[in-house]
Amino acid sequence: MKINFTFFFLVVFLIAAWAGWGWPNIAKIMPVYVAAIPGFILVSVQLYREATGWEARRGGSAGGIDMDEVYDVQLDKKTELRRTVAFFSWFIGGAIGIWLLGIVIALPLLVFLYALIEGREKWITSVIMAACTYLLIWGLFEYMLESRWPAGLLFS
Amino acid sequence: LTREQVRNLIRAEILAAKQGRVIDMEISLFDAAATGFLNLLHLKVFLAMLVGVSIGTFTAVAPQGLGMPLVYAIALPIVIKWEPITGIALLIGASSVSAICAAYLPILFGIPGGSGSQATVLDGYPMGKRGEGRRALGASFMAGGMGSLIGTFTLVLAIPVTRPLIYLMGSPELFVVMLWGLSMVAVLAGRRPIKGLIAAAFGLLLATVGQQAQSGVMRFVFDQPYLLDGISISIIALAMFGIPSALDLALTKLGVEQQPVPLKGSLFDGVKDTLREWWLVVRCSFVGVWVGIVPGLGSQVVDWLAYGHAAQTSKSPKNFGKGDVRGVIAPESANDAKDGGDLITTLLMGFPQGVVTALFIVALLAWGYLPGPEMLKKNPEVIFSVVWLQGISGIVGTLVGFVLAAQLAKLAEVRYTFMVPLMFIFILMGAFSVNRDPIDLLVVITFGILGYFMRRFAYPRPAMILGLVLGDLMEKYLYRSMASYGFTWLSRPAVIVLLILAAASFIFTVRGRLKSHEEGPASLGGAMARTADEN
Repeated sequence: MKINFTFFFLVVFLIAAWAGWGWPNIAKIMPVYVAAIPGFILVSVQLYREATGWEARRGGSAGGIDMDEVYDVQLDKKTELRRTVAFFSWFIGGAIGIWLLGIVIALPLLVFLYALIEGREKWITSVIMAACTYLLIWGLFEYMLESRWPAGLLFS
Repeated sequence: LTREQVRNLIRAEILAAKQGRVIDMEISLFDAAATGFLNLLHLKVFLAMLVGVSIGTFTAVAPQGLGMPLVYAIALPIVIKWEPITGIALLIGASSVSAICAAYLPILFGIPGGSGSQATVLDGYPMGKRGEGRRALGASFMAGGMGSLIGTFTLVLAIPVTRPLIYLMGSPELFVVMLWGLSMVAVLAGRRPIKGLIAAAFGLLLATVGQQAQSGVMRFVFDQPYLLDGISISIIALAMFGIPSALDLALTKLGVEQQPVPLKGSLFDGVKDTLREWWLVVRCSFVGVWVGIVPGLGSQVVDWLAYGHAAQTSKSPKNFGKGDVRGVIAPESANDAKDGGDLITTLLMGFPQGVVTALFIVALLAWGYLPGPEMLKKNPEVIFSVVWLQGISGIVGTLVGFVLAAQLAKLAEVRYTFMVPLMFIFILMGAFSVNRDPIDLLVVITFGILGYFMRRFAYPRPAMILGLVLGDLMEKYLYRSMASYGFTWLSRPAVIVLLILAAASFIFTVRGRLKSHEEGPASLGGAMARTADEN
C-alpha cells in the first residue's frame, strides 16, 4: 500500500516534466528543473528504499521527533475503512449540498443530520446545533457583514 | 500618517512610476511604531483579537488533536478578505494565547500538550496530582505571559538592528534568503528527509500552476480556466490540515477519556513562584527566542531545551520530574518567547520557521505585503502592528487564563459530535468563501484526500506547504536576478555569504537529525514518552 502512494508522486512528477518540456526556459526552470526532475529522482530513491526494506532495516519509525502529526489511529481495518468512507461521504454530501441548495441551507442541514445520525444526539440537541449554524452563516455573514452567499443551483 | 499624507504618497508613487523613478516611502521607526499602534485602535481590530484569543484558548485546551496549523488553515480563507490589521489581529491573537494556555492538558490530564508544551507534563501533572493544579497553572500563565513579553521585546529590538541590512538586499540576495527558507525543509521533514524533499518538490510544482507572469506561459492549466490564476494556497492549506484532523475525530470518536485532576490550590502561589524565579524565566525566554530565530531547531525542541537548562542549572535537579514548579516555569516561558523569535525570521527575513508562520506568510502575501526586507522597508508600521498585537495578546491570554481557569478545564471534555460538524462548517465555508465557486469545494475535497494520504503514509505536509509558499517568490526573485545580472549575481558578496549560511544551516540540521535518528528512542520525544508513562 505504501509503495502505491509513492507512485502517485512518481506519476505527478513524470506528467509535470513531460508537460513542461516544451516550454521556454524561463517558464520551466522552477517546475521542471527545480521541482519535477529532482522530485522524480527522489521518488525513485524512495521507491528503492521501500522495495528493499531499507527504512525498516534502519529502524523505521522508532524514535526521533516528527514535525507533522503522526498517524496513530488504532482501529481494526474494517472499522477504520467504514468510518473513513462515512466521513468523506458526509463531507462530499455537504459540498454537493452547498452546490445544489446554497450554503445557508446546506450547512445547517448537514450539521443537523450529522449530529442526529452519526453523532446519535437527541433531536433537540441536533436542532439547536443546526439553528446555531444557521445563525452563524446567515446572522453573522449575511445580516451583520452583508456578505451575500450565492443561492444553490436549484434556486438560481 | 493622516489620510491626506497617504493620498499624497500614493499620488507621488503613481507620478514616480509614470516617470520610471523609484520613490522611497520609508517612514521613521518611531512613526512606524506609533502608526502601528494607532492602526489597532478600532473596535473591529479589538474584537478580532478577542475572537482570535477565544479560538486560541479553545484550541489549546481542546484535546482532540486541534492545533494552530489547523486554526490558521481554517481562518485563512476568511481573514484574507478582511482588512489586513483586523485579520492579523485574529491570527496573532490565536497563536499567542494558544501557547500561553497550552499547559492545561499537561497539568490537568497528564497529556502532553501541543508542540512546545510537552515537557510541562513532567512536573505539571505531579503537581496537579498532589493538589497543586492551580499553583502549576498560575506559574505557567505567569511564566508564559512574561516569556511572551520578552519575546516581543526582542522582536522590537531586532527591527532597528535588521533595518540597515535591507539596503544590502537586491533580488539575488532575496532569492538566496528564500532558498535558505526552503532549506527549512530539513527541519519540517522531521525524521523523513527524502519524503520531506518529495513533499517540498510537490509544493514547488503546485506553486507554478497557472499563467506565469514573466512569460505568459500557461503552466499545468490543461485548458481549465479555473487554473489560470493557480490554486489558492489558503484552500490547499485548509484542506491539507483541516480534513485529516476532522477525520481523526470522526475515526476515534474520542474526547478526553481521563478524568482531570481536581483543580486545587491557589493561582497566586504560582505567580509568586514565577516572580521568585524571574531569572530562570529570563534565561529560558531567551532560549525560546533563540530557538525561534535559529533555522534548523524547530519548535518541537524548545520546551525540552529550556527544561534541560533549568534542570542542569538547578541546585536540586533531583526534584525535577517529581512536581517541581521550575519544571513548569522553564518550558512555558521558553515556549511563549519563541513566538517572538519566530516572527523575527518571518517578518524581517521573510522565511517561515514552521507551518504556522508559513501560513502567516500566505496571509501577508494575500494582503499584498511581502514579508522580509521589502516589508521592513515599505510597511514597517504593519510589522509594528504585529508586535503590538503580539504583546497585547500575550497579556490578554494571561488574564484569560487566570480568570477562566476552572471554566476552561471543562472545554477539554467537548464531544466529537460537536467538534466534527463545527469543523465541517468552517472547512466548507472557508473554502467556499474564497471565490464563492463550487469548484473550490471540489479542490478542497481533492486536497483533503491527498492530505489524508500524505499523513497516513508519513509525507510531511509542512514541507509541502513551505514549498508552495516559497515557490512563487523564489521564481520571481530568480527571474529578476537573471534578467538584471545574468549569472553574475552568483558572485555578489552578500549572495555568497547567504549561500554559505543557507548551506551550513541545512547541513547542520540534517546532521543533527540523522544523529538523533541513530540515537533512536533515546531522543527527547522518547524521554518524554517514558516519563509520561511513569507519571
